[in-house]
Amino acid sequence: MEYKTFRGGIHPPYRKEAASLPIKELSLPGEVVIPMQQHVGAPNNPVVSVGERVEAGQKIGQSDAFISAPVHASVSGTVKAIEERTIFTGAKTNSVVITVDSNQPLKWREKRDVSALSPNEIRNTAKEAGLVGLGGAAFPTYVKLSPPEDKPIDIVIINGCECEPYLTCDHRLMLENPDDIISGLKLMMKAVGAQKGIIGIEANKLDAVHVLSSRLEGESSIEVVVLEVKYPEGAEKMLIDAITGRRVPPGKLPSEVGVLVQNVQTACALHEAASTGKPVIERVITVSGGGVKNPGNLRVKVGTPIEHLIEQCGGFTGTPAKVIVGGPMTGWAQKDLSAPVVKGTSGVLILTEEEAAYAAELDCVGCGKCLDACPMFLEPNLIVKYVKRGQYDLAEKFGAPDCFECGCCSFVCPSQIKHVQYVRKAKAELQAAKKAAAKS
Amino acid sequence: MTDLSFKVTPPPHIRSEESIPSAMRDVAIALIPLIAVSLGFYRLNALINLVSCVVAAILSEVVMRKIMGREPTLSDFSAVVTGLLIALVLPPTVPWWYAAIGAIIAVAFVKELMGGLGRNVFNPALFGFVSLIILSKLWGHLNSAISGAWYKGNIAGVTSATPLTFVRPTALSGVRPGYWGLFVGHAGGALGEVSVLAVLVGAAYLIYRGHITWHIPASIIGTVFVLTAILGENPLYMILAGGLMLGSFFMATDWVTSPQNKTAQIIYGILIGVLITVIRLYGAPTGAVAYSILIGNAFTPLLNRFVVRKKFGQVAAA
Repeated sequence: MEYKTFRGGIHPPYRKEAASLPIKELSLPGEVVIPMQQHVGAPNNPVVSVGERVEAGQKIGQSDAFISAPVHASVSGTVKAIEERTIFTGAKTNSVVITVDSNQPLKWREKRDVSALSPNEIRNTAKEAGLVGLGGAAFPTYVKLSPPEDKPIDIVIINGCECEPYLTCDHRLMLENPDDIISGLKLMMKAVGAQKGIIGIEANKLDAVHVLSSRLEGESSIEVVVLEVKYPEGAEKMLIDAITGRRVPPGKLPSEVGVLVQNVQTACALHEAASTGKPVIERVITVSGGGVKNPGNLRVKVGTPIEHLIEQCGGFTGTPAKVIVGGPMTGWAQKDLSAPVVKGTSGVLILTEEEAAYAAELDCVGCGKCLDACPMFLEPNLIVKYVKRGQYDLAEKFGAPDCFECGCCSFVCPSQIKHVQYVRKAKAELQAAKKAAAKS
Repeated sequence: MTDLSFKVTPPPHIRSEESIPSAMRDVAIALIPLIAVSLGFYRLNALINLVSCVVAAILSEVVMRKIMGREPTLSDFSAVVTGLLIALVLPPTVPWWYAAIGAIIAVAFVKELMGGLGRNVFNPALFGFVSLIILSKLWGHLNSAISGAWYKGNIAGVTSATPLTFVRPTALSGVRPGYWGLFVGHAGGALGEVSVLAVLVGAAYLIYRGHITWHIPASIIGTVFVLTAILGENPLYMILAGGLMLGSFFMATDWVTSPQNKTAQIIYGILIGVLITVIRLYGAPTGAVAYSILIGNAFTPLLNRFVVRKKFGQVAAA
């Protein structure tokens, strides 16, 4: 059977062995580190002070900026410090460190009927819960639920592709919490006034397709669409193209073509926030890779140091070569294990030497494979060429600003060129040039 | 636990198995049918030239990289491929040492002196080939200038008659091979010109392996076919005879010296097709494909720079 898809992309080895492992609750660490910025947008200011007792779910950081998302204490405990801590990107970010109480009260039991909520109440719920895109992009959800007046949204797509190798947390969630996902989708449709809801799932998760389809019998406004197994099927623009045939123009947002895309975990979290008032203080992540003893899908409190996570998974096996936060295509390599899990963390991978092949970069041989792989139809080889020469205007011409850094070009490159690194350089230089131009 | 050291590199953290050696190996594999057929027709002559070219190419690379103080890259197989291609564009009558000179020019000067694989502007094998054509003319003059020259062999054979010669109304005497002969196999012309079928089998393998696409070869062959038909020539004979097939599938598609985006590739192919037609009909039939592709090579940086691919979701050309 032919499944829907986009043009370009790659077929990496998927290694989704963890897909069969049910979600488990992770034990609490001794302390959690909650960065004030876990999202795209303005950082939060701490609203607690050192020594203060905080309760799980209590707001501990907020901002007045439109594009931002508040953060909450993920556990009950005592604020030990408010200081700069290193996060998964390697950047230092102001964080609230909380010593975890041994006794954690159970909360968020009482259910509220979510069907009575108005669009405004839904948006507010998302905002107050600190909900951001949990697929990894971490863009504040309530902003996406507030599309401009002149750009009506008719389709909400729930992204259940999980196209990154190794990761299986979204897959498990679709199997274990299908009703919450569907409820979250309905809330999103209501918030933006969309008539149609679609859940897009790659064909390597047919069990999830089956589970969700069976829950949707008799629902005329929501359907499940099965997509080809190809990376990056779950990239927003690719997914919209594959499902609707609409192409978001360069530099534009999905609202341009009347579509809103949200990850399955985001839908799940929106439902939870709406029905129980629970903010985003935990998420499901995948711990996997050849270098960890017991891979798994774990429900983890935001702020949990990844070291604790790996310990709880039985520690390392063999010699781990790389520790990655996120997926192997776009994730961040870690220098040590101190970074905390944040809202956008979808996985922690421990790769062995064999899994994480790394070779020195050679000269480009002009094979053109990066062009064929690029889902944005850019010319990665020329971006690299002009970044090397410092000609950023030409890097822009060949698409550096349009690149969303999926890494397909580097994956296929016979010369092992790290295109994404050059693209980031180009973006930074172009941004700086724009700022300088605006000043003068 | 935290004292372990982890590798920190930019993403992606996994990559395909493909490498330059694996791709070059694929090109060598794709040449096997052609090599086999040419050995069948030309026997020892073909074997000697193939071996001497490959050996000369390998030695040139080793020596040149040593002189230039670079790491050896022999394991990437590119010297082997260049050596094979040089031997294939030459007729079997060319003496082995002369063929080897072509390989030396290709690898030592056209490739290594330009900075190695990826930095060369011209297709090394074709540049080596046309150098031999030009040198052979020069050699004739030298030979008569220096009486009693030490070599009296037939190096002018570089430009010996190919079946293409028969296509003109002023055809030389001889037996013109039929279409079937040209397609399946015939003795005449360079090693790589003996069988269109063998070229196509090899090309199909390269396309299957994802190393080349139809864009460049189809636009060259299509252009030559249409133009020669318009100009009153026999278009089928034009595309089957001579080095057109070998050149279109194995030379013009050379990664380094051809453009990468598909639109630029089609323009490149048409350009080469026009040049081939013009040079064949109004210039010298032999070497037309080689000259045309080399001229095309010169336009590659320009095509890459100015023919910009339409981006995802882009409506009007920017």
